[in-house]
Amino acid sequence: MYFRLCASRCRLISVGAWRTGSLLAVLLAASGAVSAQELKPWNGGTTPVLELADPGGQRHRLSDYRGKVVLVNFWTTWCEPCRDEMPSMQRLKSRFAGKPFVVLAVNVGESEARIAEFLQKLPLEFTILRDHSSAAMRVWRVRGLPASFVIGMDGRIRYAHTGEMNWDDEKLINTLAGLLR
Amino acid sequence: MNRRDFIKTASLLPAAAAVSVLPQFALSAFAAAAKWRVFEVTTKVGVLKPAGTSRVWLPLPLAGDTDYQKNLGSTWNVEGGTAAVVNDGKYGAEMLYFEAAASDKVPAVRMTSRFATIDRAVDLSKPGSGSKADRADLQRYLASTELIPTDGIVRDTAREIIKSAGSSDVEKARAIYEWIVENTFRDPKTRGCGVGDIKYLLESKNLGGKCADLNALFVGLARAVGIPARDIYGVRVAKSEFGYRSLGVGTDNITRAQHCRAEFHSAAYGWIPVDPADVRKVVLEEKGGGVLLPLDDAQVKAARVKLFGAWEMNWLAFNTAHDVALPKSAHGKIGFLMYPQAETTAGRFDSLDPDNFRYEMTVQELTSL
Repeated sequence: MYFRLCASRCRLISVGAWRTGSLLAVLLAASGAVSAQELKPWNGGTTPVLELADPGGQRHRLSDYRGKVVLVNFWTTWCEPCRDEMPSMQRLKSRFAGKPFVVLAVNVGESEARIAEFLQKLPLEFTILRDHSSAAMRVWRVRGLPASFVIGMDGRIRYAHTGEMNWDDEKLINTLAGLLR
Repeated sequence: MNRRDFIKTASLLPAAAAVSVLPQFALSAFAAAAKWRVFEVTTKVGVLKPAGTSRVWLPLPLAGDTDYQKNLGSTWNVEGGTAAVVNDGKYGAEMLYFEAAASDKVPAVRMTSRFATIDRAVDLSKPGSGSKADRADLQRYLASTELIPTDGIVRDTAREIIKSAGSSDVEKARAIYEWIVENTFRDPKTRGCGVGDIKYLLESKNLGGKCADLNALFVGLARAVGIPARDIYGVRVAKSEFGYRSLGVGTDNITRAQHCRAEFHSAAYGWIPVDPADVRKVVLEEKGGGVLLPLDDAQVKAARVKLFGAWEMNWLAFNTAHDVALPKSAHGKIGFLMYPQAETTAGRFDSLDPDNFRYEMTVQELTSL
């Protein structure tokens, strides 16, 4: 695997290389204050399956969102950078209101009660999914949290990033807007 | 009682005689108690004397899930630099790599990892269902490394040990295990977990060391007679629930609780856990006050039986890597990755000196998620 440094206040970003039959995503994370960032194109191979239930028990499949741009974000309540980026994720969703853009926030390994308690303090208007067994995290080869994957309208991963992201960043928003055309 | 009473160096005991007097181990009791436990380990590092570029490498939990450990994710905060997950390129050992350019601030990183573990036991009294291990993977764990050669004195010693063992891989591995329990000792003067230079151990006839020495000796001897074997480097995270004061950690500060274990591969059973080094730890430390327990002590005997085929999982596994080239390091390979590592342009830090490095590791067990 290899990695390269991005801008000074930023993070090391790695581009995963596929091994046979598996997703080898080495995603790099840094937290703290974030400024201008770029989403790096994904070249890690096939998009894994994602099928999980929301806290209400309704099942969501990534394939059901074909035709929309989807931000899949793996998070936990105990992950500080995860918590820190959520308000900007919420603003991003609002920014794309009326457009075919969806956020699927996948909580890893935590109970319904823990998630509910968190959401009471930070109400979010995007879809929360529960990966209680961490199976999805393993399939998507998530090692660092938060981990974000941008899925194009064709259902394939276009960008991936590990670490807190400033979803208010205009350049980032333009990149996502480009996928919505 | 002098520890030398337990040490046979030039003459090797027939392993079969040692095995026959051991009590039967109630595997069912051990397995019945098994339940998943969830832990969170936090590692904090501050590069107290930054000089030029600072680089830090922190071992992450095992990359892949096993039947005894599941990775629940890691997160990190950095100060004055950037961080990335990298691996060693050969064994799949993952580590968090932190880099900070020269500045007036103390570069710092805090990493938190969550994982689940469950006690592990292989019932060797029942027929195995066969191994599904990957052939290339097994070859990797037959090969020699810089500190674990499989020829010369290592091969000769191994052949001598298994002369009177049975023909199966389990019987041969058991003979090696018993030989290590009988002939080595835990040396309290060894720094950290030891170095793992098994050729030196055998040639010097001073078979004293700690886990990275004694379990590496098991690995080398097993490999030398064609049994795939590997060290697994990690850290203890809780006290022993089986009443062994010496085989656990009694505080939430695990900065100095690193521990290395071993496994060997059987065609019939797959990977089988062992830990002869911990048997010697019971001998040296269980009673306390510098009093050594004899090998026929009940607690030592019970540990000796249990630690061939089972591990209590009050322990976090990091990786199985040897001869680790730390990515972007300006210095040579390290024998194994079990401690935080760091370097600046002034040189590589002493990973066994956490107070001056500086790093601290703490753990908490989570009762609800």
